[in-house]
Amino acid sequence: MEDKYADLLQQCAANNQLAFKQLYDATSPKLLSLCLRLLQDKQLAEDVLQEGFIKIWDKANTYSPGKGRAMTWMATVVRNKALDKLRSLKTKPAETEIQYEGLEFASRDLEPESLEHLTQDIQGLMECLKTLKPAQRECILLSYYYGHTHQELSDKLGKPLGTVKAWIRRGLEDLRPCLTI
Amino acid sequence: MSNNIKRYQNPEIFEQLAIEYVVGGLHGRARKRFETLMETHFYLKATVEAYELKFAHLVELLPDEKPSKQLWSNLEAHINTETEQTSETVLNDTKTPWWNVLVDKKSYAFIASLFVLVTALIINPFSGGAAIAYTAILTSKTEAPMAVTRVSQSNMHISINMMKQANIPDDMQLALWCHPRHGGKPKLMGVISTTGETIIKIDKEEWNSFKDVGLLAISVESKNAQSPNENQGEILLKGQLSSLYET
Repeated sequence: MEDKYADLLQQCAANNQLAFKQLYDATSPKLLSLCLRLLQDKQLAEDVLQEGFIKIWDKANTYSPGKGRAMTWMATVVRNKALDKLRSLKTKPAETEIQYEGLEFASRDLEPESLEHLTQDIQGLMECLKTLKPAQRECILLSYYYGHTHQELSDKLGKPLGTVKAWIRRGLEDLRPCLTI
Repeated sequence: MSNNIKRYQNPEIFEQLAIEYVVGGLHGRARKRFETLMETHFYLKATVEAYELKFAHLVELLPDEKPSKQLWSNLEAHINTETEQTSETVLNDTKTPWWNVLVDKKSYAFIASLFVLVTALIINPFSGGAAIAYTAILTSKTEAPMAVTRVSQSNMHISINMMKQANIPDDMQLALWCHPRHGGKPKLMGVISTTGETIIKIDKEEWNSFKDVGLLAISVESKNAQSPNENQGEILLKGQLSSLYET
């Protein structure tokens, strides 16, 4: 599948502001969604997204298609910014009432028509995740999307800390052979 | 070498730690310790980056959330300010020059000597004559120059100079590969040291084949690899080969 963002990102490396605007318009909704789940605060999430896009602009010349899809590279840049911010906060923002929780978006059955909009890479990753036990999968996805610590997961799921740690560790052990990096 | 470091060189252990780090399963001191080790052991960093890219596909599943209009205005203002500052200071490039990563004097000296060689020979791709040497600067995934290679007709050898030590597990080794310019299987040139200079002798046929080489790459290979003539491991460093012609 063609990577529509890779070309835009490479044009950003040549200081093409129009390409940067197009890239921002196309990708910022998903990246903001990620920041909102990690930071649980709209203003913080937008601040981090802004820092993320500045880094994407400044470091666009270090991206090459050989590193993977442009969107995954950008998501990694933004998520790492959000995690840095999360760790710099003395207390984690309380989860908001409705908007940014749960895993419905990741656990719904993938109908053939919705698969058309997804890359083969995410379909492959979902297949790997499906091989895990539901509790293992849930803990791993909550960690990734929400940045929850083991203790937070233990509290949230009402399970002993040791059980949560074991789910994640064994889940990732089972996932590794499927991911083949 | 401490037991702690050796522990992180066991692929079974460091791969598990890398994937836990990416998902967010390492916390507190364990996370900080892992991040410190990542700064000096680039195979840890490479593994983490590979898993980060795998998991980043999960972003595709998220519902869209529209940012405020102010966010783009802030970004636009930042870029315009950056551009103005660039114009005022008459810098050619606001982005960090690649040679800034060469922090030790030894590396500067080596690069300087390479430039002397290049200026003495003049890189001239339009010259009708045959190349008398080839050179490539091999960079890591983060574009940091890590090694300089020279292929010289006068002494019929390839020299590979590692500017920084490559920290790899004890049961692994570095290998140098030549990738044909127009595709095809890469050719294994030999095993190289993780530090300092390595010399690999070449014969006349190998020298002649360099005119068709486009890229040099260094990969990490298992010392017990079954088929040493095919790339088995991950490419850590790579760089385009340039021809040097006599003036």
